[in-house]
Amino acid sequence: MPRSNPDPALAKAAPLTRPRVAAAAAPRLAARLRGLSPYGYLLPSLVFLTVFTYGPLLVAFTLSLFRWNVLTPRPVFVGLKNYLQMLGDPLFWLVMRNNLFYALGTIPVTMALGLLLALLVNARGLRGKGFYRVALFHPTMIPMVAAGMLWVWLFNPGIGLVNYYLGFLGVGKIEWLYDRHWALPAIILMSIWKHFGYFMLIFLAGLQNIPGELYEAAGLEGAGAWHQFRFITFPLLAPATLFVFLVSIISSFQVFDQVYVMTQGGPADQTNVLIFYIYQHAFRFWDLGMGSTLTVTFVALLLASVALLYRTFGRRVYYAAE
Amino acid sequence: MQRSRRRERLLTHLALLAVAGVTLTPYLWLLSTSLKERTAVFTPTPEWLPWPVRLQNYLDVFGMAPFGLFLVNTLLVVTGILAVQLVTITLAAYVFARRRFRGDTVLFFLFLLQMMIPIHATFVPNFLTLRALDLLNTRLAMMLPFFASGYGTFLLRQTFKQIPRDLEDAAVIDGCSGLRFLWHVLIPLAKPMLVAFGLISLVSHWNDYLWPLIVTDTPDVRTLTIGLGMFVQQESGADWTLLMAATAYVTAPLMVIFLLFQRKFIESFMLSGLKG
Amino acid sequence: MHARWMRYRAVAVLALAVLLGVGAAAEAAKLTRITFYYPVGVAGPLARVIGEMTDKFNREHPDIEVVPVYSGDYNPTMQKVQTAVMAGNPPDVFIVEISELPTLLAMDAIIPLDDYVKTAEGGKYWEDFFGPFRENSLVGGKLWGIPFQRSTPVFYWNKEAFKQAGLDPDRPPRTWAELKETARKLTVRDAKGEVQRWGVTVSGGWNDWLFEAFVRQNGGWLISQDSKQLNFASKEAVGALEFWVDLMHKEKVGPPHSTWASTPPDFVAGRTAMLYHSTGILTFLKNSAKFDFGVAFMPAGKGFGAEVGGGNFHIAKRIPKERQDAAWKYVAWMTTPEHAAMWSQASGYVATRKSAYHVPAMKEYVAKNPHYLVARDQLQYASGKMMAPNFQKIREILIRQLDDAVDGKVAPAQAMEIVQKQVEAAIRQ
Repeated sequence: MPRSNPDPALAKAAPLTRPRVAAAAAPRLAARLRGLSPYGYLLPSLVFLTVFTYGPLLVAFTLSLFRWNVLTPRPVFVGLKNYLQMLGDPLFWLVMRNNLFYALGTIPVTMALGLLLALLVNARGLRGKGFYRVALFHPTMIPMVAAGMLWVWLFNPGIGLVNYYLGFLGVGKIEWLYDRHWALPAIILMSIWKHFGYFMLIFLAGLQNIPGELYEAAGLEGAGAWHQFRFITFPLLAPATLFVFLVSIISSFQVFDQVYVMTQGGPADQTNVLIFYIYQHAFRFWDLGMGSTLTVTFVALLLASVALLYRTFGRRVYYAAE
Repeated sequence: MQRSRRRERLLTHLALLAVAGVTLTPYLWLLSTSLKERTAVFTPTPEWLPWPVRLQNYLDVFGMAPFGLFLVNTLLVVTGILAVQLVTITLAAYVFARRRFRGDTVLFFLFLLQMMIPIHATFVPNFLTLRALDLLNTRLAMMLPFFASGYGTFLLRQTFKQIPRDLEDAAVIDGCSGLRFLWHVLIPLAKPMLVAFGLISLVSHWNDYLWPLIVTDTPDVRTLTIGLGMFVQQESGADWTLLMAATAYVTAPLMVIFLLFQRKFIESFMLSGLKG
Repeated sequence: MHARWMRYRAVAVLALAVLLGVGAAAEAAKLTRITFYYPVGVAGPLARVIGEMTDKFNREHPDIEVVPVYSGDYNPTMQKVQTAVMAGNPPDVFIVEISELPTLLAMDAIIPLDDYVKTAEGGKYWEDFFGPFRENSLVGGKLWGIPFQRSTPVFYWNKEAFKQAGLDPDRPPRTWAELKETARKLTVRDAKGEVQRWGVTVSGGWNDWLFEAFVRQNGGWLISQDSKQLNFASKEAVGALEFWVDLMHKEKVGPPHSTWASTPPDFVAGRTAMLYHSTGILTFLKNSAKFDFGVAFMPAGKGFGAEVGGGNFHIAKRIPKERQDAAWKYVAWMTTPEHAAMWSQASGYVATRKSAYHVPAMKEYVAKNPHYLVARDQLQYASGKMMAPNFQKIREILIRQLDDAVDGKVAPAQAMEIVQKQVEAAIRQ
């Protein structure tokens, strides 16, 4: 294999490879070490993956076929009845709708905002880049629970900042978390604030990977800013975009902390989302059978969404270098 | 040409300042409220500068719940998780990067898939597992599900793959291979990625809520986030200044470290999305 | 031979010494430590009060150490208790919301307290508790809980606001009709039509509890005392809901949604002129409101009506007898007339025992603060709170329909039909 440019760091590492083992024993020992089953290396991870990721999925699937709740303290096999009950429950469909609205409300906006800000911050020779990045990214450092509390205060209808500043725009006082129409939008707004900084960083990394010469060449050929964006930036950002899209989807399925702290699913279940719904069943109603059923549904939907994402966009992604 | 470039630059700054301002406003308001007297928050127009400044709020918060203990618990849990993760991901990433063996594709896929199966998917059965292991209400319980990390394994495998094969071949000839090679050569070379992953893991588990909520009951093992959630109920919205002081305190450690090491944090999170 | 006897004697002396030593050590270490999970369901620094009272108990009982664990409000506390019970490590003594009793029994988590109660205070202990408070302790002929933080909902009104609206500040509305009239006069809207002040707030969060009160004021009931019969779709229940919908959706004199925690500060801030909430926030209001306010019975429908609320002491089942005994000592101590009086003053909760109101410190206190007697006096119109197994689910079902109805999304009659059907399914499950 051809040697690439020798890296000084590698050269520094070289002396460490001279063991004090007897030359005769070395080849046998080396062979033994190399032969140490790769499975051995994987064992620690596999133990935890089995016990805490894949085993639980099997357990959830099994339990979903049983009725096990406060009134039925010993699990009773009921086959697919839990699934039928779930599908027939209008609250389940409301929860699904809420998740969908949440996803539609957060994903496009957060991605677009992240991209737009990355483009702005990436401007060549921009002063204060460091400040902007910190300011825009700092919400990631705040636990969601703390952010939730903070936004409950901001959304206070009487003395919160949001209504106060909206007043300058001529908008009337909104009851936000106490209004069935505005509670979910409030959560959406807060989630966008929380997440766009991280996406901005991912896009920034992606932008920095685009060779500057491409822009120079395009500029020489007279391509304007929009053209450059459309034919250079956007396609080459595809891996980053895909990653951000993936993270958004997973994250939208996982929404819980904000709901728990800000609305507890209300008012009238208008902010009840899937994970909160599972939590209610498993740890408030102690209906572990239905909790497992909902868990299986959650995993199935999540994996299906990710698979769909990859199938639709994965192939169109152009990797600049593999 | 110069004028339009300057104007463009000005507009960029204006846009960025506007967005940055809006983004910072909540946290600044948090700090402002935390320093006010209880009734000072009820003014019809928001007062940004608290006067008189009431630092006592922070002391009161400590008197109402053992936030110092919560901080210790959080530190123990996040460092515990990271310590074990570093071991598991390094070992796994090494063989995925350097070895071919039966089932390696399938196994790697299982590692990748784990990224799509968050704790939110498995918390119900995991709760039952911990109950069976008699580990409920312990710090270990908060750590166990996270010890294996498909994400970390993936990132580290990428990094290892980028280190030239010749180096290992040379080392093998010298008799250094397997674990020794991993420890003495690969890990030092992968340090930037390890640091990046470390920071991401620390931040991510610092902010854990659902899982600790399920598995812990008592204050002796409680973490900052759960402590804040409970404090909220204790204060029941009656005193926003205390609530904001508690919230400010819970966010402070991470925020301070972030400000001190911003470059490192920003770099790490930027690295997290690189695929290849 | 002599040597062997010497050896036996030596061993015997040694054994005796060891036994004595162990005995002494055991005596010294005879500290029974018990954990106590408790909720705080109302505004106010009540966790601190529990801490202080428990410290006092621990000082007076050197052989017992009670470790109080504040566990959030009622829902998280029940969750923690259930988790701990499932883990085989229950808290020795705990307080949960009274309607959880059937669920605790279904989990086989607690012991009956009849034997302890029979001999307490020379047999006079149990009779001293107010009748309505005793009701939520009895299931299947046995006694399962001791009343501690007990309440009824009460009606608060802002006397300043009444004066501003030209109303007599010392005359609260006594009937539903008067309530509507008064609320209309007190609701203030600005030029843009936005509400500056609501007339009356029926607090959310536990609006199911408040709804039960309205149903009783309308002469009805929701769940029978044996938890077997459901009456959600009755005329009286529908009528009560219609009144709510009238107030909040048609007349718009009250906010349709709020949280249990947000409404006391709203009252203090003057954002609502009248408030339905627990008597347990009374001390908080006294310390926070900058205006004069009144406390009264909830306005009458067909008559006055209320039901009780709050939490009872329970003792866990699967713990050693000596811990149960220690737990009982703690419960008995916390519920002496003096301590019941102390707790009432610190919170606003009703002192659970009749003789508590004869404690001199309490007599003096209520003479100066007659507000603290209102909930107690309302007890004559009150009875036990509705309860059934799987109560958390029942609450969710009821609250959801109440929320939808006051938003005008479903007609009251239809809403209560839905509740009846869904609760039937939840109980039969």
